Amino acid sequence: MPEIRVTPLGAGQDVGRSCILVSIAGKNVMLDCGMHMGFSDDRRFPDFSYITRSGRLTDFLDCVIISHFHLDHCGALPYFSEMVGYDGPIYMTQPTQAICPILLEDYRKIAVDKKGEANFFTSQMIKDCMKKVVAVHLHQTVQVDDELEIKAYYAGHVLGAAMFQIKVGSESVVYTGDYNMTPDRHLGAAWIDKCRPNLLITESTYATTIRDSKRCRERDFLKKELCILLETFWERMDLKAPIYFSTGLTEKANHYYKLFIPWTNQKIRKTFVQRNMFEFKHIKAFDRAFADSPGPMVVFATPGMLHAGQSLQIFRKWAGNEKNMVIMPGYCVQGTVGHKILSGQRKLEMEGRQVLEVKMQVEYMSFSAHADAKGIMQLVGQAEPENVLLVHGEAKKMEFLKQKIEQEFRVSCYMPANGETVTLPTSPSIPVGISLGLLKREMAQGLLPDAKKPRLLHGTLIMKDSNLRLVSSEQALKELGLAEHQLRFTCRVHLHDTRKEQEAAARVYSHLKSVLKDHCVQHLPDGSVTVESILIQAAAHSEDPGTKVLLVSWTYQDEELGSYLTSLLKKGLPQAS
Amino acid sequence: MLKSQDLSSRILSFSLRLAGIFAAQENCFQYLQQGELLPTLFGEAGPLGGAAWTAPTVRSGWVQGLRTLARHPSALRFLAACGAVDTIFSLQGDSSLFVASAAGQLLVHVLDLAMRGPAEGRRGPRARDWPACAQKIVCHIEDSLCSAATPQVTQALNVLTTVFGHCRGLWTQGLWVRLSPLVARLLEKDPVPASHSLVDLLLSVARSGPRGAAGGVGRSSSVLSSDRGLWETLAQTLSHLSPTQAGPLALGILKLQDCPQALRTQAFGILLQPLACVLEAAAQAPGTPGLLEGAAGDSMTVDTLLSSKSACVGLLCCALAHLGLLQPLPQRPSPWPQVPLLGAVVTILRLCSGSAAPTSDVGGRLCAILVGCGRVQRAALDFLGALSQGTGPQELVTQVFSILLEYLMSPESSSMVLKKAFQATLRWLLSSSKTPGCCDLDPHTQQFLRELLPVLQKRLCSPCWEVRDSGLEFLTQMTRQWGGRTGFRQALLASEVPELTRQLLRDPESYVRASAVTATGQLSGWGLRATPASPERPGAQQESLLGELLHILSTDSEGFPRRAAMQVCTEWLRDGRADVAEDPERFVAGVLQAASRDLDWEVRAQGLELALVFLEQLLGQRGSRCPYSVGLPETAPPGVLAQALQVLCRVQLFEFAFRALFDCDRPVAQKSCDLLLFLRAKAASCGSLQEAGDSPSVASVEATLQRWQAGEQGQPLGYLEPGAIVAVLRSVDLEGLRDTLAESSDHVEKSPQSLLQDVLAAVGVLGENEADCY
Repeated sequence: MPEIRVTPLGAGQDVGRSCILVSIAGKNVMLDCGMHMGFSDDRRFPDFSYITRSGRLTDFLDCVIISHFHLDHCGALPYFSEMVGYDGPIYMTQPTQAICPILLEDYRKIAVDKKGEANFFTSQMIKDCMKKVVAVHLHQTVQVDDELEIKAYYAGHVLGAAMFQIKVGSESVVYTGDYNMTPDRHLGAAWIDKCRPNLLITESTYATTIRDSKRCRERDFLKKELCILLETFWERMDLKAPIYFSTGLTEKANHYYKLFIPWTNQKIRKTFVQRNMFEFKHIKAFDRAFADSPGPMVVFATPGMLHAGQSLQIFRKWAGNEKNMVIMPGYCVQGTVGHKILSGQRKLEMEGRQVLEVKMQVEYMSFSAHADAKGIMQLVGQAEPENVLLVHGEAKKMEFLKQKIEQEFRVSCYMPANGETVTLPTSPSIPVGISLGLLKREMAQGLLPDAKKPRLLHGTLIMKDSNLRLVSSEQALKELGLAEHQLRFTCRVHLHDTRKEQEAAARVYSHLKSVLKDHCVQHLPDGSVTVESILIQAAAHSEDPGTKVLLVSWTYQDEELGSYLTSLLKKGLPQAS
Repeated sequence: MLKSQDLSSRILSFSLRLAGIFAAQENCFQYLQQGELLPTLFGEAGPLGGAAWTAPTVRSGWVQGLRTLARHPSALRFLAACGAVDTIFSLQGDSSLFVASAAGQLLVHVLDLAMRGPAEGRRGPRARDWPACAQKIVCHIEDSLCSAATPQVTQALNVLTTVFGHCRGLWTQGLWVRLSPLVARLLEKDPVPASHSLVDLLLSVARSGPRGAAGGVGRSSSVLSSDRGLWETLAQTLSHLSPTQAGPLALGILKLQDCPQALRTQAFGILLQPLACVLEAAAQAPGTPGLLEGAAGDSMTVDTLLSSKSACVGLLCCALAHLGLLQPLPQRPSPWPQVPLLGAVVTILRLCSGSAAPTSDVGGRLCAILVGCGRVQRAALDFLGALSQGTGPQELVTQVFSILLEYLMSPESSSMVLKKAFQATLRWLLSSSKTPGCCDLDPHTQQFLRELLPVLQKRLCSPCWEVRDSGLEFLTQMTRQWGGRTGFRQALLASEVPELTRQLLRDPESYVRASAVTATGQLSGWGLRATPASPERPGAQQESLLGELLHILSTDSEGFPRRAAMQVCTEWLRDGRADVAEDPERFVAGVLQAASRDLDWEVRAQGLELALVFLEQLLGQRGSRCPYSVGLPETAPPGVLAQALQVLCRVQLFEFAFRALFDCDRPVAQKSCDLLLFLRAKAASCGSLQEAGDSPSVASVEATLQRWQAGEQGQPLGYLEPGAIVAVLRSVDLEGLRDTLAESSDHVEKSPQSLLQDVLAAVGVLGENEADCY
């Protein structure tokens, strides 16, 4: 029985370290290859030993697909390709390919140079890894090999984010990555064909949340949107306070949003024709010296968890003044300064035994654009999968959504933990060609074909050169060079009759003649009786002289009549009057 | 807490692991036992029977807890009493790979623990002397090995693999004696169940003996007597498995230090078979030397190769990869069939490119399967590169170069294939002219170079950045090795490659710009300029290149090209290039000025590297024993030091170094600290230098440094006197800073106190943002 197997190595009942192995019709695909922000030891990367155990990585895996550039989806990629030794193709969209190395560089910097980690991937490894990437366009069917094909769909979420359909023959799986079903100020909503996959693997970060659209619009800004908003607000209010971007990352991200303008939503695209919205008048690059300038200012600084670098440096400088405010743009991992101040700590021990008193205001705002429960249901409805599998979420929330999906769509829903394998049996459809001769004959018999009224078509199924064809039996014999054989069924019916065989046959003849008025019943000179092609002969019983044995034999074409006759004779003959 | 109704599975899992850690100490174990806590956690009364058991994290916690706990005899008795071993048996087939794998390892740990202990020395190979717990586990393994269900056989084989890989007791020999017949019996089944695990086990057993490649413990002669059985089993396994399954076993056998020659020959035959088939199928004329005389055309291998495209590609890639791994090993088979192997790889590459015209039926079908197959092309090019370590007849080497050229020229070659073709070409070029004492290239190589450079030229103009980058990396490597060879120099200068490389300094892709900077630096280092420099001003070209590098340093928006430019500048200074040596002060001042404003920490760190090279050139090398030790062997006379400090002040090295000392990126600060400590040690070694003491200049420098340390780096340091520098160097606590910087940036967050703060604060945290990651 063919089957689809799915094993999350990461993101199974968990957020972070997305890495899902899918085995479909003998092809093995890895979906995402992320890292976990919460760990700085072995656990930060998925445990790939479960793949290497089944042989060489490159021989086992047919391809790796990366859904988008966030590190929890691609952070382990250079480790996987350059240190564990995967040498095959990696598929992602063009914007992801452009932005991925920037984030990987940033991650490397923090891991190696801040934390002093040895044995981490190098810049050269990031480059070598990126050289293995094959960029895919939206809605373009990419043939990975003769049997495996993939297709990307728009996912919203972040620039370049895509959902992927993986198809082998008639079996298919859709992996959503992270997606957003409501368009925001700069990206459109996720969309997919009604592709009816055998399995839809969907993220479920906001599995239990249903956000009202107005609040959603106000809250779910991405960083770029904030620039647009601030720029507009500054313009309207005629504000003079400067807005700065701190180092590279954000600046580069903006650069790529400009470069990949077709990926953004329609409104932005329209505006872009008149004026490039990403060319900001009030927003400038930040220099370290600016932090000491007097007067108000807004600074966008990275990293977002205040664990190192520019943002931490500015935070230290400004933390002591209650007039200042820091807005944390998302989740902060335990151990980071961001996590500490969000959980209310006001005295932080810094390096060199200094204590930093935090007097500034601390605010939290969500900036991630994930689909909420409604959005997930909408996508399931759109794709019409046979099964659903939830990843990238918390177990409790998944449980709720699982029930909802099962009730509403009447499909099976799974939520495996990391390391658990879900196996789905599939029934592959096998394409069969029909010979023209057979079709013509069928047409000649009457009605034209009608999609709504399926009709039974008889023929002989032959396999030639790995192709299946339905042809007439004559043509099958001819093509396969076979001689025709007649197949007859024989049945013995015991008849209680003490008379001789000929008399018993005569009784059978007269009984059948009276019952089967529409059929041609004959009594042959040799004593046997025929009904159409069916032959009935009477013989004596070897042990019981009071019983006669009727031998009934028929061809397979008269199967129905043969069975009917047998059952008729089994009931016995009417008593002679 | 454990009695709580809605205990989350994560907390329960954590409790199980924590209890395991505590109970690892025997006295702690007794204490927990008294409180009946352990049975509540690990026994029937615990989560085992409850709903919590459905969560894999709880099962995982249970296994991990027991794994830590099982360290003493009391723990072993506890395991037996609470029936944990049976649970472990069932967990081997757990739905979670992680739990199943951990359960298998726990089983091995328990077995090892049971077999060790006070009576270890007396426990011979006879299993009936073994403790009951060990007997139970071994019986379970025996049952599993005899099972008709493949998953159970796999579990047993995996457990045994771990036993022979990790356990070092005499009892392991007894175990093998007892179980090897059951293992051998698996080979009678068709197909052989759990073949992958079987291969792992056999190799693990073979390696664990004194003959193994990994060394291993010495064994008594009684075990050696069973070796014959092991070799026989290995030989049988090789012949029973399919060609694809047998590959890893064959490679493993060939890696063993000491095993019978017949077995090695058989194993090598398995690896060669697919290539032998290809060679035979593509042979143009009978009598062409094959790979495996007499045995070529093994029907099973041919069947696999022709059965389907994926089977053919899989088998060939495995064979090529395995042979590539074997090639550099000292224990590789000898004689090594270099010539037929080369022939086979070239044939495969030709089949893939469609340039082969096989006459046989099998050859034709192989051609149809392989043509355009990138996976086989990549594997074959990797192996072809590995084969460059050996030699071959000139005719064959010419064929190698010709197929490499074909791939490099082909518009069909993907960027990864081109990268690998460049790498293989580099390896072959470098190995083809290794003749010692010869400073020029042989005519064949020279000819090849003439053909190669136009291809490289074309590839440097590729629309695909990956290809341009691979071309530049190839050029850099070639120049590094051959920059001094006349033939190479002539060929390169006659081509447009140097000019194109220079143009790529303005490539839109930053990776390519960085590689172009490195390549240009390398070319110019060897005097390989785009056009001959004018005889009047030999440094003119170099100067303009320096200008270009400084321009990149100050204007390029990406870090990679700027880092590469800094590396080139450092190399130039280190190698004392004539034009840099003309006015090193101006050069260093210009580069440091550009680097000091850089946003990329690696550029700033590289700036410090350059500063250090400059310092060493002025003051002598750093001591090799300890860079900061006072009284270095090479001490500079006071006059030299004073002059040197003047120079350093003029190039504003101190401004750069002191700013870097308080850099927000730790490695930059660390590097600067090292540099200043080195300088201070040098200054101390010549005490006669006049210190500025309490002069106003010193006070103002110290005040500025304090502001910088506080994060206010706006103010410049201004002009400095050498005396003031020495005074400031002595007053700053550089050792203290060095110690602080040596700790990772998150050491504070990692401290127990910080953890406690987090735990306390977590009570008040909102649940809303928990999953709101990324």
